[in-house]
Amino acid sequence: MLRVALRGIRAHSVQFALSVLAVLLGVSFVAGTFSLRAMLSDTFGAIISTTVQGDAYLRGAEESASAPQIGQERGSRTRIPLGLAETVRSVDGVSLALPELGGPIVLVGADGTAVANGQAPSFGTGLDPRDPGATVVAGRLPAAAGEVALESATAQTSGLAVGDETKAVIAGVVTPVVVVGEVDLGAPSAGATLVFIDPATAQELYAPDGLVSSIVVYADEGVSEKDLVTSLSSALTAAGADVGPAGAQAVTGDQARAEATASVNDVLGFIGTFLLVFAGISLFVGAFIIANTFAMSVRQRQREFALLRAVGASPRQVFVSVIAQAAVVGLVGSALGLLAGIGLVAVLRAVLARMGMDLSGGIPIEPETVAISIATGTVVSIVAAAVPARRAAVIPPVEAMRDDVATEDRSLRVRAAAGSVSLVGGILAVFLATDDRVTSAGTWLGVGAAATLVGILLLAPAMVRVALAILAGPFVAMFRPLGRLARGNVTRNPRRTANTASALLVGMALVGATTVLAATAQASTRTIVESESTADFIVQSATRDVPPDAVAAITALGSVGRADVMSFAAAQVSGPDHSQPTGTTLAGITDGAFGATLDVVVIEGSVADLPGGVAVQRSTADAQGWAVGDILTVTTDTMTVELPVRAVIDSRILPAPLVLPASTLAELVPDVQRSINAVLVNAADGVDEETLRGDLTAAVAPFVVLSVQTNEELATSLADQVDRILVILYALLGLSIVIAVLGIVNTLALAVIERTREIGLLRAVGLGRVQLAGTITIESVLTALFGTVVGVTVGVALASALPFVFDDVGLSTLAVPWPQVIGMVVLAVVVGILAALWPGARAARLPVLQAIAQE
Amino acid sequence: MRIPSPRAFRRARTPDVPLEVRLEVPPVAESPGPEVIAWARGLVKVYGSGQTAVRALDGVDVDFGRAEMTAIMGPSGSGKSTLMHCMAGLDSVTSGNVTVDGEVVSRMRERALTTLRRTRLGFVFQAFNLVPTLTAEENITLPLDIARRPVDREYFDSVVDAVGLRDRLGHRPSELSGGQQQRVACARALVARPAVVFADEPTGNLDSRSSAEVLGFLRHSVDELGQSVVMVTHDPTAASYAHRVLFLADGRLVGELRSPTPAKILAALGQLTGATTKAGPATEADADTAGPGSERVAGTGS
Ligand SMILES: Nc1ncnc2c1ncn2[C@@H]1O[C@H](COP(=O)(O)OP(=O)(O)O)[C@@H](O)[C@H]1O
Ligand SMILES: [Mg+2]
Repeated sequence: MLRVALRGIRAHSVQFALSVLAVLLGVSFVAGTFSLRAMLSDTFGAIISTTVQGDAYLRGAEESASAPQIGQERGSRTRIPLGLAETVRSVDGVSLALPELGGPIVLVGADGTAVANGQAPSFGTGLDPRDPGATVVAGRLPAAAGEVALESATAQTSGLAVGDETKAVIAGVVTPVVVVGEVDLGAPSAGATLVFIDPATAQELYAPDGLVSSIVVYADEGVSEKDLVTSLSSALTAAGADVGPAGAQAVTGDQARAEATASVNDVLGFIGTFLLVFAGISLFVGAFIIANTFAMSVRQRQREFALLRAVGASPRQVFVSVIAQAAVVGLVGSALGLLAGIGLVAVLRAVLARMGMDLSGGIPIEPETVAISIATGTVVSIVAAAVPARRAAVIPPVEAMRDDVATEDRSLRVRAAAGSVSLVGGILAVFLATDDRVTSAGTWLGVGAAATLVGILLLAPAMVRVALAILAGPFVAMFRPLGRLARGNVTRNPRRTANTASALLVGMALVGATTVLAATAQASTRTIVESESTADFIVQSATRDVPPDAVAAITALGSVGRADVMSFAAAQVSGPDHSQPTGTTLAGITDGAFGATLDVVVIEGSVADLPGGVAVQRSTADAQGWAVGDILTVTTDTMTVELPVRAVIDSRILPAPLVLPASTLAELVPDVQRSINAVLVNAADGVDEETLRGDLTAAVAPFVVLSVQTNEELATSLADQVDRILVILYALLGLSIVIAVLGIVNTLALAVIERTREIGLLRAVGLGRVQLAGTITIESVLTALFGTVVGVTVGVALASALPFVFDDVGLSTLAVPWPQVIGMVVLAVVVGILAALWPGARAARLPVLQAIAQE
Repeated sequence: MRIPSPRAFRRARTPDVPLEVRLEVPPVAESPGPEVIAWARGLVKVYGSGQTAVRALDGVDVDFGRAEMTAIMGPSGSGKSTLMHCMAGLDSVTSGNVTVDGEVVSRMRERALTTLRRTRLGFVFQAFNLVPTLTAEENITLPLDIARRPVDREYFDSVVDAVGLRDRLGHRPSELSGGQQQRVACARALVARPAVVFADEPTGNLDSRSSAEVLGFLRHSVDELGQSVVMVTHDPTAASYAHRVLFLADGRLVGELRSPTPAKILAALGQLTGATTKAGPATEADADTAGPGSERVAGTGS
């Protein structure tokens, strides 16, 4: 039987090749995701092992009040006095103890612009000559203020060489610097911009309050990390040691490395999950193609299976032989997909390297990547083939004797019923999600959307006749008789047409939903900015932090009437019942900004008398049950205060649950832990906008990364950011569309084989080759249109629920981008035409006579 | 218009006595006159090459008369279908000339052949004649639709009435009986008023009653509408509907009968294969098995 199965593959090689291709594409994505993750993990592993080289670390004893953010291992603990380094240097077994001094830096490259690689960070580090981690490859280490050394990759991307003079914004201070050396860290930099300065300057700029996040300790020869930590711990607890406001602790280097690795893996895990979702979509779409291929090949080989049954094969054997074919398709597709996936990552790595982002040397091929890829592809293939295989198995032997193999297509009633239930349930869940009173609305929406999509997929065959009768109308009228022939072909087997279109349907639903989400996000941002900001200009930084010096420079301008600072910091807050404090974000707004540069919706109370109190966002107030007059307890690393709620506001431009006057925030949180997100500027009386813009632009120019934008410009640049993220999403979704196109090609190619005789007849009665190809093209376009129209409708409809569900996180204005939606329908036509090229050419090449004579 | 009943022909059938027929191939003119709608000269068709080459047609000179129904008979594998395919431009010829309605088919390219098929030729095959997704009416007008020519309603109606399908026009092929399907195919072959209708065993899959309907209709189209029909058949009864019967053997034309009767045809077949023909009237039951029967005769003769 196995031989029969393998022969079957050889005899129908074209069909199977397309199935293999479908598996290949899906699996290549899976394999690519995993090896990308492994490669990134290797890269960051290398970075950690070269940058976290200490034998022990001293750090804050407590988690910081600031909520730990994904991938941010720094600053997630309380800070310690850098003087501790001096204290522990005399401890037994310690050979060296250095405070880790680092922070944000903006380096101006040879071309006069800030050195940056996409979103990769930019760090300035105080480098002690005794630090064993770094090797000077050119020049020397910085020894005085105004001297910097560059990491090798940074030196390359910046275009700066030893001896060059440039500028840097170190901890918000614009400093002229000279490059005195190039330093190699012995690990890839992964795109980060790394600048080294002398320890004294670093201490002055990055630790003005004498506090650092950690101190690295190196042991004497022969002292184990454990022993070192033990002696450090006792030194810390020894009387008289200044361990800072929240205490200090010592951990081994191994633990520090493990924690760093874990936090890196968190981020990578997130990226991996994100990519795997798309891999999953591709495989899901691919499964339709595999299922369709097997359904059609089983149908075509009906008589062959009946014959096998007639000569004594059991249904089980027939079933197994079809499943075996699926397994072969799955294995071959997976193996090729694995190679393709690794190739994909290699290409990606090369592209990133060219963009100045060097990653680790090789692409690690881990056994688990291989296993997962092969298993996924094979299992998906087998599962997809199971239903057709069962159908093949139950073919009665008498079918072998039947002349015309007219298969009764099973009733669609059960499937349609299941689909209706799922669809109705899904829609109900979505409606439930839009109700304000429902908690975990996001989950309801997700479940509802999934159920709706599944319902539509199940209902698709039942919809084919009606939907295509409408869609085909123009074609039937325009292309006589091709349109009618094509309509007949797509409606004759609704299940097949539906399955073929389903692959596209899923892809298009996602694309449709994404475009609505993006347009909604953009429209919402625009609405928020334009309705809440009444400033003439908004100054922001590409590095997110506006340096205090820049704020000072702006305030000093004569043409500036108001310059209101919007700053943020982390804290813990508890309500009037003194319950367990929870992490939150505080927004600090310059007194008097409300009504001048900001115009937020006040639900209750007043923002006019904010000083000495706090304003709470409506969503937080609702969730916590806080109201005007309640006293909140706010705790930061340095102090605890009680603040009365003065207003409940509804603002999206201030993405923080609590809003307080900037002066209060400045008391609560030390400068280094507060970040200025934006400066809202209004012109002084009698100053026109262009003058102000000119002044502002000149004032922020030295800081390199600051931008001066009107509300309109800001909204547009935020929209551009959304677009940039979208490009990635579209690229990922594009894969599922490519797979769907393959599915249409596959179905058409199989249909051409199946209809050879009919094609011969049409040709005999005078249908030209071009007309024949035209018929197949219309068929293909109709299938693509069906999938697209239904998919886009579902996607757009579901995404339209978003503003009702996620109103409180800033998605408030629904926008359906009709040009894009129409573009997708046009795309469907193009996709249909492309998919028909090969099957159409194949059909046109069929010799008329062979087509007629075909048995 | 009325379909002539098979009874009308049965009257013409011959007595029980075996007939002596003189078979010969009359010579053909170098360039035939207007009474000939299609002809072939020195037609050779070889399939394959070298050791496995099959000479399906081996120098055929033949004329098909205008407004005449011609039947082609011969043992299985004698080249009947091949001759028809070559005449109709469905297959290329190895050598020789084929002319249909003044057009030299043997020298045409694919595009011209497509146009020729669409406008000048009608086809009826043994089975799978209809496009399953189209209704009977759509199938009938298909060649006109393909050629984007308007349907002559009057003529369409007369053809539809002649085949008796008026109440079946909206049905799909799967809802029609075999005989009805073949009648739809005949109507389709005729509706574009082709120069010649080629029919390859149009009644091969039909019972005798349906056969009679289809054949009567084809003959009627010749007599009443002036159509020219070439039909391949195994069945002497079917062949007796024709004005003229041509006999093929091993790719050569070996004989011809004018005004045939089933008995004459049987006798001729018997003579050609050298076997003694079992005499007897061609009953309706015989007609059904005539196809395989004559094959058997051919088989024993070689
Ligand atoms: N496509 C083909 N390839 C090779 N040989 C063929 C082909 N078609 C027909 N033949 C051969 O040509 C001869 C005549 O075939 P055909 O015209 O179909 O006979 P008939 O219709 O009289 O039964 C037969 O020997 C047949 O095997
Ligand atoms: Mg034949």
